[in-house]
Amino acid sequence: MEIVREPQTQAGDGAVDLRTGAQPADRLEVSRKGAPVVRLEGLSKRYGDNVVLDGVDLEVSAGEVVAMVGPSGAGKSTLLRCINLLEVPDAGTVTVAGQCVDAGKEVSAKDAMRLRRTAGMVFQSFNLFPHLTVLRNVSLAQERVLGRSRAEADARSMELLERVHLAGKADTYPSRSSGGQQQRIAIARALAMDPQVMLFDEPTSALDPEVGLEVLAVMRELAESGMTMIVVTHEIPFARDVSDRVVVMADGGIIEEGDPHQVINHPQHERSQRFLRAVTER
Amino acid sequence: MLANWLEWLPELGRGLQTSVLLALISVTVGIPVGLLLAVLVSSRRAAVRITSIVLVEIGRGTPALVVLQLVYFGLPNAGLTLGPFTAACAALALTTAAYTSEIIRGGLEAVPRGEVEAAQALGMSYRDTMRFVLVPQGMRIAIPALVGFGILMFQATSLAFTISLQELLSRAYSIGSSTFLYFQVLLLAGVLYLAITIPSGWLSGRLERRLSRHL
Amino acid sequence: MEHVGAVLLGVPYTLLVTVVALAIGAALGLPLALARRSSLAALHLPARAVIDVLRGIPPVVWLFIIFFGVGNQFVPLDPLQAGCLGLGLISAGYLAEIYRSGLGAVHSGQWEASDALGLSRTDSMVRIVGPQAFRVALPAASTYAIGLLKDSSVVSAIGVADIVFRSTADSRATGAALAPFLVAAAIYILLGTPLAIASRRMDSRLRQRVAR
Repeated sequence: MEIVREPQTQAGDGAVDLRTGAQPADRLEVSRKGAPVVRLEGLSKRYGDNVVLDGVDLEVSAGEVVAMVGPSGAGKSTLLRCINLLEVPDAGTVTVAGQCVDAGKEVSAKDAMRLRRTAGMVFQSFNLFPHLTVLRNVSLAQERVLGRSRAEADARSMELLERVHLAGKADTYPSRSSGGQQQRIAIARALAMDPQVMLFDEPTSALDPEVGLEVLAVMRELAESGMTMIVVTHEIPFARDVSDRVVVMADGGIIEEGDPHQVINHPQHERSQRFLRAVTER
Repeated sequence: MLANWLEWLPELGRGLQTSVLLALISVTVGIPVGLLLAVLVSSRRAAVRITSIVLVEIGRGTPALVVLQLVYFGLPNAGLTLGPFTAACAALALTTAAYTSEIIRGGLEAVPRGEVEAAQALGMSYRDTMRFVLVPQGMRIAIPALVGFGILMFQATSLAFTISLQELLSRAYSIGSSTFLYFQVLLLAGVLYLAITIPSGWLSGRLERRLSRHL
Repeated sequence: MEHVGAVLLGVPYTLLVTVVALAIGAALGLPLALARRSSLAALHLPARAVIDVLRGIPPVVWLFIIFFGVGNQFVPLDPLQAGCLGLGLISAGYLAEIYRSGLGAVHSGQWEASDALGLSRTDSMVRIVGPQAFRVALPAASTYAIGLLKDSSVVSAIGVADIVFRSTADSRATGAALAPFLVAAAIYILLGTPLAIASRRMDSRLRQRVAR
């Protein structure tokens, strides 16, 4: 098995072993490529008569970048939000970095919080905290959730803000930054928690195409550094060029998945053909 | 009439002071309690939630005048005797708490849901989400309505007339009953009330515009 | 629970005062609101002053001015008349503001569309914007009405035999200091809370059919 990236052995890294609560020096166990970081089995969800997810199975390995595409209402966002339990499925199991939650049984707030510490999420509408400075936005959860000291958290925040090329904005308020900048800050905020997997829910849909490019560039860098990523997106070129696997969803189920160039250029399923044709023939 | 007004002004001024002080104390004590109630009303524990909802509905459903009577005339029966000023403070603070809890709850609910989700996605606990995301912004959103309510509370201090508190209205009425120039003195009292409520209303409007700029 | 019987006698007066005041306020509030919205300074400045004064003086002070002031020195008024008039005027001030926000909440595109279709200003107001403004204003107006039910208690201070008046009288007559007031509180809650709940439910249903 290949080891995808350098084990993060910095002391005080803050990553918590979810089973024992201990802080291991390296997380090789879970980061080995081939080992699934996310496993969804039999996920179902309905709102009234509307079936949004129909017994979906999905597995994502460490270091993999999975792009989820498909028509609106297909259930892509719902599936993504089930991974960190922002939506609780009616049935099925969600396993993230070894932590398993069975939706058939009572899902407690504690279960949800444990799962969320392993996954970082980036939202379509960024959802930065407008009343806090950019630095505080990135540091707050590090202090409150991971228990880092203010100094530690701020140092890590600055590192990440550098990484997304926005260190200069640290002491300003989010409203002073453009949409693309806010989204990059949001990415930094999620990365600051040292997640095992990053979930992106249509990260560029609220941005002008030009501005979206900055964000996609950061996401590409992130992918190349070996982060496990699941990206719900309408950006087909990004899906084709950056992801390791493309998953096409429609009507609550996965209708096709596989190699990006295969799926996008030669879709097999009739429904994916319709969708991709509509996207590429604009 | 103006000559009379000038003559009565010092006396009424003292009454106005009492009214303003009463309003400030009631609001200062009542709003923190209102915040507590607003948070409790959203609690996930049914017992807490239901009790607070009942308390709020009783507080909002009872006219301030009745609360004043209850506290001043009724409580001595239960062993607690309060002077007019203290009783008025207690009664109006209770009313403030009940009403402002709904105002603050509205503010908390107006905080964009996406931010709550972001806090949850970061793994923050319910308490931390409340403390760092919902309450700071919810209160900010609620401020204009809270100021508006404060102005109404100031007006409500005139009800303390019925429990023998020497505030503005009662002093005006005393002067009226001794001079029989009721219309003139009550009009002056009205003007004094306006002297507080109208500028406060303007300030509140400006505050509202200023606050919505940053959100 | 003889107290209950005694205090209940005040309910008709409470309801009467509330309803009459609302009627006066609803009627007078409309011209006030239209004047306030007018582009003519000669209309909107006095209208604004009137509204601010009506809402800026405490209700009990208004009642005293009308009953002891006007009533004693100029025009004889009995407590009930003074109470209804006073609360009616105050309601006009508050309802004018409610009408105004109702009208303001309707998307300006509705006016533009009506104009483009060639509808007269009156027709636009009556057939297009008015009904929508009404839907927006209704929840706020009903919240006000329910509040007025409680605020009507001030008429007890000038001698109208409403719920509070009866409870105070009963307390003095029987020497009971707690019970009559608790009964009064309970009656107000029983009258007001169901209305408030119904009003909130109506509010969410109405919100859907207005262009914002």
